[in-house]
Amino acid sequence: MPQLDTSTWLVTILAMILTLFILIQLKFHKYSYPLSPAPKTFKSTSFPTPWETKWTKIYSPLLLPQQ
Amino acid sequence: MNENLFSSFITPTMMGLPIVILIIMFPTLLFPTPTRLINNRLVSAQQWLAQLILKQMMMMHSPKGRTWALMLISLIMFIGSTNLLGLLPHSFTPTTQLSMNLGMAIPLWAGTVITGFRYKTKASLAHFLPQGTPVPLIPMLVIIETISLFIQPMALAVRLTANITAGHLLMHLIGGAALALISISPTTALITFIILILLTILEFAVALIQAYVFTLLVSLYLHDNT
Repeated sequence: MPQLDTSTWLVTILAMILTLFILIQLKFHKYSYPLSPAPKTFKSTSFPTPWETKWTKIYSPLLLPQQ
Repeated sequence: MNENLFSSFITPTMMGLPIVILIIMFPTLLFPTPTRLINNRLVSAQQWLAQLILKQMMMMHSPKGRTWALMLISLIMFIGSTNLLGLLPHSFTPTTQLSMNLGMAIPLWAGTVITGFRYKTKASLAHFLPQGTPVPLIPMLVIIETISLFIQPMALAVRLTANITAGHLLMHLIGGAALALISISPTTALITFIILILLTILEFAVALIQAYVFTLLVSLYLHDNT
């Protein structure tokens, strides 16, 4: 059976190691699977302080009692 | 007759140069590297196939086992493409060579076993003794489990070699028989030809299944050891 002729075994094994562990893996590690693009939701992270939720005229700086 | 039958399994050399190296490296040409955000159809189809296989195979592994994802996907694609290319007439199939299959099976199996020994020593040694064995049977069972562990890489290699070689041999024999029968009795030749067509369909399936089985078993050994 020609598969049992061990004179060619070294060449075959070296070629396989080169191909399987280096060449093919170089091809497959370039595969990228990005997530589908989706818009980011707009959400404000700063919460208005209680005295800013309602603007009243008396809080304008020039109308405050002068110190 | 023997010489003629097995001549397609001799490692090809051309004037002393081992062109088997080029034959083994040929399937890598069929997987182009993706270089764009949106690639052409061939690359996209291969990426889709790779993702399908990866999701199916890597689902059962822990995060440690998932570091082997690149190795396993390369393995299944390499064996699958090599087997399918071997179905072309007059081509040489590297996976019929016991040397190559041993070279694939032994390092991968050894890698899984050594990973198991390094990270989960007690658990991987515990694989040698199934739960609930009666005490007098323990020595014999440890011996049996050790033998069954060491036979795993041999079985992997010989399974792949034997399946692909046997399929190719059958196709040679039945094709030769169909050709010889044409001059003797055309109806028998037609029946033999139909058998040949069915066998070729089977060989396509076997090519893919063998790749799958090889990779699945390596993945199973990995699961046991991570």
